[in-house]
Amino acid sequence: MKKRGLISVAAAAALAAASLVAVAPASNAAAKTITLAFQGPLTGEEASVGQDELAGMLYAVKLFNAKNKGKYIVKVVQADDQGDPAQSAKVAPGIASNKKIIGLVGAAYSGATIAALPYYKQTLLPMISPSATRVSITNPAAEGGAMGVPVFHRVPPTDKVQGPSLFKLATKGVSSPKVFVVDDQSAYGVGLVDYMKPAIPAGQSAGFDSVSDKTTDWSATISKIKTAAANVVIYTGYFPQAAPFFKQLRDSGYTGILAGGDGVLSPSFVTLAPASVLEGVRLTAGTVPLAEISAKLEADFKKSMGKASGVYAAESIDATNVFLSCVAKGVSTREAMLKCVKAYSGKSLTGATIKFDAYGDVAGGAMNGFEVKGGKIAFTGPVK
Amino acid sequence: MVYGVLRMINFANSEIFMVGTFATIIIIRDLFKFTQASEPATGARLWLILATALIFSMLVSGVLSMLVEIVAYRRLRRMNSGVLAPLISAIGVSMVLAESVRILTDSRPVASPRAMEKKFIGQFFDAGVRIDNTIIVISALILFAVLITFVNKTRMGKAIRAVSMNPNAARLMGINIDGVVSATFLVGGLMTGAAGFFYVLKYENTASNIGFELGIAAFTAAILGGIGNIKGAFYGGLALGLLETYASFFLGTQWKAVTVFIVLVLILYTRPNGLFGEALTQTRA
Repeated sequence: MKKRGLISVAAAAALAAASLVAVAPASNAAAKTITLAFQGPLTGEEASVGQDELAGMLYAVKLFNAKNKGKYIVKVVQADDQGDPAQSAKVAPGIASNKKIIGLVGAAYSGATIAALPYYKQTLLPMISPSATRVSITNPAAEGGAMGVPVFHRVPPTDKVQGPSLFKLATKGVSSPKVFVVDDQSAYGVGLVDYMKPAIPAGQSAGFDSVSDKTTDWSATISKIKTAAANVVIYTGYFPQAAPFFKQLRDSGYTGILAGGDGVLSPSFVTLAPASVLEGVRLTAGTVPLAEISAKLEADFKKSMGKASGVYAAESIDATNVFLSCVAKGVSTREAMLKCVKAYSGKSLTGATIKFDAYGDVAGGAMNGFEVKGGKIAFTGPVK
Repeated sequence: MVYGVLRMINFANSEIFMVGTFATIIIIRDLFKFTQASEPATGARLWLILATALIFSMLVSGVLSMLVEIVAYRRLRRMNSGVLAPLISAIGVSMVLAESVRILTDSRPVASPRAMEKKFIGQFFDAGVRIDNTIIVISALILFAVLITFVNKTRMGKAIRAVSMNPNAARLMGINIDGVVSATFLVGGLMTGAAGFFYVLKYENTASNIGFELGIAAFTAAILGGIGNIKGAFYGGLALGLLETYASFFLGTQWKAVTVFIVLVLILYTRPNGLFGEALTQTRA
C-alpha cells in the first residue's frame, strides 16, 4: 500500500520517536545484544497500519528472545514516519547513523521508503518491507534503475502482480464481463490500472475513467458506467473515496460487481457505507490475516501482544524472521546481515518460499482475495 | 447574501457548511442511534428525524455564522480596515474551523448511517427519479422562494437591502447596521446549514476538508450567475452543475474543471458581471 502526502501536525513527535525499546525482560551477561529497527506510521492518521505491523515484529522478536535466552537479546528501535515521505526523510538519518541497528523492518509505505532510501543505501542498512508495494522501487527498467538496490527487500508481491489479480478476482464467475475501471489520479491508482490493462482480454473492457480523490459527486462517472452497460466496476484508489463511490453507484440502481485493491482494504472501509450497499465488494491484497493461517497462531498473538493482529501482521512477522534467522547464524554487522538476507531462503508463515531476487523482490508471490460479508471484510483465499 | 450586503466574500462559509454536515450526522447517528446495519426509518419517524436534523443543522450553522461575523469581521468593519484585512481574517477563521474538525475526527471521513431508503419514485424521460433528490430539489425551490420573499417583502429584508445599497444613508435613516449585518450572517448561516443537511441526505458522507472544494464550486456558481445576486447564484449553480456533468461525460472526468473555467472566462468576457449581472437591486442581498 502506498501513501499520499499528508499535512502533519505532530512533526516534533516524530523527530523524537527514535527511542529504544527493550523487548527482552532482563539482560544476561553472556547474551549478545542485537538491535533491529522498525519504520512506519506510529502516530497520525495512518497510525493503525504502522502499529499493527510493529506488533507483528515485536511478536516475532519476543518469540525469538524467549527461544534464545542466554544467547541473544534482540532490541527494536521504533522510527515513526507517519507514512509521510517528508517525515521519513527526517527520521531516516538518525536510524542510518545508529550503527547498532543492523536491520530495518520497513518502511511501511512506498513514498516513505523512497524518501529514506538515500540514507540507508549510503550506510548499507538492510531493509525488508512488509507492505511497500510500489513497482518502481525494485524495477530495473525504471528511470535510474531499481532505486532500492542493494539494501531494499520486500515480502509482499507488487502492484504488477496486483493489477492482473484484481481483474481476475473481479471477473470471477461472471460469464460475459464488461469491466469499467476507475482510478483516483494518484500514482498508486493510475499505476495499478497500467498493470491491469494488459490482463484485460479484448471485448471485456467497458471503459476507463480517472476521477480526482476530492470528488464528492460521482454522477458523471456513474452515467458513463451505465451508458457502457458495465457489469463489473473496479476502483483503484483508497477507501475514503471508494465507499461513497460504491454507495452512489449502488443507489443509482447498479447491480453488478464492485471491486478494489489493497487501498480499499481497511477496517474503516465498511464503516463508511451501509452494510447492504457494500455486501459482496471484492478486494485484493498481498496480505493474509493471521487467523486465516491458523486460529492457534492468532490466539497466541493476541495473548502475547494484548490485541488482535491487524493488516500486514503476517508480512511483518515474515520480514522480522528473515533478520532473526541471520542473527541466529551469528550475524552482528550490517554488511554480514545484507549478505545473509540476499542468500536467505526460507518459508513464510503460509508456507510459501521467501527468497529475494537481485532487485529485492520476493520470488513468486500471490495476491489474496477478500469479500465484504455482513459488514465485515472476510478472507476468501488466494486469487487463482 | 453576505457579499451583497458587505461587499466582502465570506470565505468561512464553506467551513460553516462543513460543520452543518457534521451537525446532521450527529442527529442521525447519535440522537436517533442509527448504525450502518440499521434498517432505514419510514413514515412519521422518518419525517421527524429529517426535520430534527434539518433544524439542528440550520441552527448550528446559523449561530456559528453569527459568531464568525462577531469574531472575525465586526471589529475590522468598525475600524474601516478596507477589503483585504477581512478577507485574510475570513481565510483564518476558515482554517481554524477546518483544522479543529480535522483533529477531532482524526482526519478520517465520517459517514452518516442511512436513515432514509433511497428508492426510485418515478421516471423522468430516461432518468430514474429518486426520493432524496426529489426532496432536495423541492426544498431548494422552497428555500429560494422563502429567501426572495424575505429579502423583498419583510422589514428586515428591506433593511438589508438598504444597508447593501448605501450603508451610510441606511445608518442615517436609523437602521442598526450591526443588527442588520448579524441578521444577514444568521440567514446566510441558516441557508448554509440547510445545504449541509441536504448534502448528507444525498451523499451520507462528510469530512473536515469537504468545504474547500465546494466553496470554490459555490463561488464559481456565484460569479457565473452574477455575484451578490440571489437569483444569479441559483441559476449559476444550476448551470455549473449541468456544465460539469456534460463535460465529464463527453470529455472525461479529468476535463471537468478545465471546461468549467474556460466557459466561465468566456462568459465573463462578454458579461463581466455574470449571467444575471450584479446590479439587480430588487433581489440583491
